[in-house]
Amino acid sequence: MGDLFSNLSLGFGVAASLGGLGYCLLGVTLGTLVGVLPGIGTMATLAMLLPITFHVEPNFALIMLAGIYYGAAYGGSTASILLNLPGTATSAVTGLDGYPMAQKGQAGVALFITAIASCVGSLFGVVLLSLFSAPLARVALQFGPQEYFSLMFLGLIAASLVGSGKSVRSLAAVTLGLALGLVGLDLNSGAARFTFGVTEFYDGLPLVAVAIGLFGLPEIIANAGRTVKSSVNSKDISFRSMLPSRHQWRRSGMPMLRGSSIGAFFGALPGTGGVVATFISYAAEKKLSRQPEEFGKGAIEGVAAPEAANNAAVQAAFIPTLSLGIPGDPVMAIMLGVMMVHGILPGPSVITDSPDLFWGLIVSFIIGNIFLLILNLPLIGLWVRILSIPYNLLFPVIVAFVCIGIYSVNYQVMDLFVLLGFGFLGWGMKALNFEVAPLLLGFVLGPMMEENFRRALVVANGEVSTFITRPISGVIMVITFMIIGWFIYQGTRQSLTGRSQKV
Amino acid sequence: MLKSLIDRREDLIAGLVTAGLGVFILVEAVGYRVGTLRSMGPGYFPMLLAVLMCLLGAGLILLSKPDPRKDDGLPPAIADRRGVFLVTAAFLAFALMIERVGLVPSVTVAVFLSALANRNTKLGVAVILAFGTAAVCWFIFSFALGLQIKAFG
Repeated sequence: MGDLFSNLSLGFGVAASLGGLGYCLLGVTLGTLVGVLPGIGTMATLAMLLPITFHVEPNFALIMLAGIYYGAAYGGSTASILLNLPGTATSAVTGLDGYPMAQKGQAGVALFITAIASCVGSLFGVVLLSLFSAPLARVALQFGPQEYFSLMFLGLIAASLVGSGKSVRSLAAVTLGLALGLVGLDLNSGAARFTFGVTEFYDGLPLVAVAIGLFGLPEIIANAGRTVKSSVNSKDISFRSMLPSRHQWRRSGMPMLRGSSIGAFFGALPGTGGVVATFISYAAEKKLSRQPEEFGKGAIEGVAAPEAANNAAVQAAFIPTLSLGIPGDPVMAIMLGVMMVHGILPGPSVITDSPDLFWGLIVSFIIGNIFLLILNLPLIGLWVRILSIPYNLLFPVIVAFVCIGIYSVNYQVMDLFVLLGFGFLGWGMKALNFEVAPLLLGFVLGPMMEENFRRALVVANGEVSTFITRPISGVIMVITFMIIGWFIYQGTRQSLTGRSQKV
Repeated sequence: MLKSLIDRREDLIAGLVTAGLGVFILVEAVGYRVGTLRSMGPGYFPMLLAVLMCLLGAGLILLSKPDPRKDDGLPPAIADRRGVFLVTAAFLAFALMIERVGLVPSVTVAVFLSALANRNTKLGVAVILAFGTAAVCWFIFSFALGLQIKAFG
């Protein structure tokens, strides 16, 4: 326990310094901004801001990037509640009951509960992060390539099977992603794979361009022609109108805690994260509620639980990222990329080698969440007013910033063509009802998976059974195959009872 | 028979594309040295992935079901041709111009083209927005951050 306090005070020294506070505030403010505005995702913002982070000390760069990430998780619900236009994918669930609440004149209460639930969820995630990361990293120092491979395998299987309802398609997307991740020079043999003579591809496809192409570009294009004007009157939401009644407080307490636990669980699993957590926590509340018929018509539990889950997942996603060096989602991959640019090798040794970075980040989460409460409660009117900026004037500016952001990472024109190429890929995949998130996850994990697969089999002299016979790896593999078995069982049962569902 | 194929066309196309990509990767991967499990060459892991993709593609075809969505499948993004065309043009213009004429002209053209993607944006507004954004970008990226991008050719 004494250890934890000395660590926290070390982190406090970093996060509460002038630079720490400044970059934290900048990050969460920008995060809230992009979260509020529909049509600019977290990925696009990160791409726009990457050039800035190369000039900043790594501690502060990560504090700012993280701030954008969890700030967006807060802000995403605002547009979702007021306009039924979710600012981020994870806040779509919040709109299911938040928007009906707003239509009943309870917009203020919904926004208030959202902010409180977000804070509860986040702090829950931060507590888990500070308690479990260091022990997990100590265990992970014993991990061999078998354990790493099994963990990534579990992550990818969980990411494609849980929650999407399109398991075969998602597995195909993951596999394609893994293959795309292999583009470039093979580190062991020096062979150029899938480069087709393009020398810019020797270092692999650029992560930022791939990610924005898949997620940001279809979003920008889909919204480019949007002509509807948002009509929200910021005067409707006074601070007084936001305070929930005692009855509403009582109804949202337990859902927040349940949402936090569900969120933290799925967030900490590499590969699943916020979207799955919000859906599952919403479904859980509906099942547990004594008035399930109110869901979808403005039940306050339906706002509190997913919002807490979403934010707990966001914070818990840092656990595998920081203690194992395995990124759970694309944003985390970009964070690891920034660490590498600054010469920090991600993995279990980060916590012991750069404790100021790790604990500084954790303390900055606590400070950042307090900033976010201030930004989202007294200052909510400001964000509501920002929602009335006409989108047709905003998105051309976003296009310019994305172009500059992507070009300035490597100063290579080819990256912009990669962006366009993956934009069309993302678009084609949507047309055929594929999801792009598993592809990106595979893309990020591809090189790591191959490396660990190869090393494991070299160590084990070509015996595939090594993944099962080593105890930790074996347990992970058994869990993975139990998940696969469960889905095959479910799939056959459904097709026997004749319920039609997408493959 | 034909009708059932048309009903299931989304799953069938998805399966064919997946299997096709698998075959493509397989052909490429076998071209590199494959090696054995004990000492894998650069082709081994991609080959495994390719085989998996072919199997998944076959799975999609075998498990294909009628499309529950009644409309004819075009996602809303494709419906807006003007937006697609002009936003793509904006990115292309930036990519082709940035190293030849510098930051300010490329941003101007990219913003102008993408602004026109929305029918509600008037020509004059687009011009002002284009020059305004270029000026702001010059200030932030060239002046304040000092990025290694020329402002003008």
